[in-house]
Amino acid sequence: MNKLWQKGVLGVLILLVAYNSVYFKKLDEVKATTAGFDGAAYATTFWSEKLTPAMEKGVDLSALLQQLQTNPDQAFATHSHALGIGNIKYFPVKGVATVKNVRENEVQVALDAQPAGTELTIATEYIFGNAVRDASGQIDINAFTNTMDFNTVSAELNNIIRTKVIPPFKGQVKTGDRVEFTGAIELNQKYLNFSSIEIIPVSLSVEKQ
Amino acid sequence: MFKQNTISSLLLCAVFALALFGCKTKEKKEEANKVAIIVSTLNNPWFVFLAEQAKEKANELGYEAKIFDSQNNTAQETDHFENALASGYDAILFNPTDADGSIVNVKNAKIAGVPVFCMDREVNDPDAATSQILSDSYSGSVSIAKKFVESLNKKGNYVEILGMVGDNNTWNRSRGFHSVVDHYPDLKMVAQQSADFDRNKAMEVLESVLQANPDIDAVFCGNDAMAMGAYQALVAAGKADKVKVFGFDGAEDVVNSIQDGKIVATGMQFPAVMAQTAATFADEYFKGKRDFPKKMPVAVELVTSKNVGNYVAYGAKK
Repeated sequence: MNKLWQKGVLGVLILLVAYNSVYFKKLDEVKATTAGFDGAAYATTFWSEKLTPAMEKGVDLSALLQQLQTNPDQAFATHSHALGIGNIKYFPVKGVATVKNVRENEVQVALDAQPAGTELTIATEYIFGNAVRDASGQIDINAFTNTMDFNTVSAELNNIIRTKVIPPFKGQVKTGDRVEFTGAIELNQKYLNFSSIEIIPVSLSVEKQ
Repeated sequence: MFKQNTISSLLLCAVFALALFGCKTKEKKEEANKVAIIVSTLNNPWFVFLAEQAKEKANELGYEAKIFDSQNNTAQETDHFENALASGYDAILFNPTDADGSIVNVKNAKIAGVPVFCMDREVNDPDAATSQILSDSYSGSVSIAKKFVESLNKKGNYVEILGMVGDNNTWNRSRGFHSVVDHYPDLKMVAQQSADFDRNKAMEVLESVLQANPDIDAVFCGNDAMAMGAYQALVAAGKADKVKVFGFDGAEDVVNSIQDGKIVATGMQFPAVMAQTAATFADEYFKGKRDFPKKMPVAVELVTSKNVGNYVAYGAKK
C-alpha cells in the first residue's frame, strides 16, 4: 500500500514538473516582452510592415477637418485611435498642402480646402510622443510585459522620423512648395483646438514650384 | 478490511467537503461581495483621492469596501493582502508600492481566486493582475518636456527629482521627459535625485542640490507633491521667480499654483477615472465577465497657464 502511495505521489510530481516545464507563447509576444527588448529592431519592422501601410490608408486631412467642424463625435468615432480611456485621440492623416512659412521648429502649411481659423504645421523639430505609434491603430499594448518597453517603440519610431524623414525634407522645402504628406495628428476630444494642429510626419515629398 | 476502511473514510471526507463547500457557497451568495482597496500611501492627497474614489464607486455598486494604507512599504502591503484574503475579500483594487516587489502579492491573490485590479501603478507581470488601469505617464511627460524645452528656449541648467525608484511610473515619467530634453545639448541636468514622491523629501533634496548648484533654471519633478516641495525650497532660497518648476499629477495646490504663475506646468492625471474603472471592472467580474484588457492606459493632459481654466484638482471641469 505504501509503495502504491509513493508511486502515486511521484507520478503527480512528474506531471506537475512536466506541466510547468513546457508552455507555448506567440513569437511576437516573446519578442516584445523579454528583458532585453530590442526596441529599435521592433520599430524598424513595425514601421515597414504596419505603420507605413496604415498611414497610406489614413483619412484625407481636409475632409477630416470639415467633419470635425460639423460632426466631431462622428469624426472621432470613425477615424481616431486611442489605446485607452481619455480625451486624447490620434488620427492617421494624409493630404497635399502648400507651404506658407518655414520656421525654426516647424513648417506652416495650408490645405487647398481648409476651414477658417484652422492653423496647420508639419513638425520638424519636436518629434516626440506616441502620436505616430497610436494613430496607426496597429499596435497592442497587451503584447508587452511593461509600459516601458511599449514606450520604447514610440521613441524608436520618432527616431526614424527624425533621422530619415525630416532631414531630406528640411534640406529642400521652401515657401510656396507643394508638399504631399502622411502622418499623425493628436486632438483633445473634450477641448477641440483648431488653432494649432501639428502633423507628425511619416512620409513627406516636395513638389518644386 | 484496511482497504474498505480507507475507502469509507475517503468517501466520508468527500461528503463533508461537499457539504462544507455547499454551505460556504450558499453563505457567499447571501452576502454582498467585499472589496479591499490597498494603496501605496495615504501620505499624499492624490492617493487619498484615488482610494476614496474607488471606495465611493464600490459602495455605489453595492459592495462593502475598506481602504488599506501600505505606507510605501512592500512588507506592509503583503500583510494587507494576507489580511484581505483571510478576511474573505472578493476583489482587490490595488495601487502597488513596487512594480517588481508587489508581483508576489498579486499572484497570491490570484492563487486564492481573488481578482486584482491595479490602479495608476503597474506590476511587471502581464498575467498576474486581472487588469491594470494605468496613467499614460510617458506621453504626459513628453508633453511636459516639450513645454519645458520651449520655456527654457532649449538651454539652461536643470534638476530632475525622481519619485520612488521601484515604481514604473517614476521611470516612465523620467524616460518620457528625457526622450525630449536629451536632444538638446545646451540643456544640462546638474542633479538627478529621488525624493520618493514626498513633498518634504523633495524640499530637502532641492535645498541640498542648491548648495552645490546655485545656478539652475528649472526643476522637473515626478509628481506634484515634490513640485510643491521644490517650490518651497526655491522660495526659501529666494529663487522662486527665477527657476521654472514642472510637476506631474494635477493636484489641487499645483493647479492653483499654475493659475498664480508659480508653477509652469503639470500633467493632469485622472485618478477618478482609474479608480471608478477599477471598481466597475470588479463589479463586472462578480457578474461573470472574465475577458478584461490586461492594460488600460488613461490619457494624461498637459496643463499650463493657457488652459488651466479647463481643469480642477484631479481632473477636467465638468
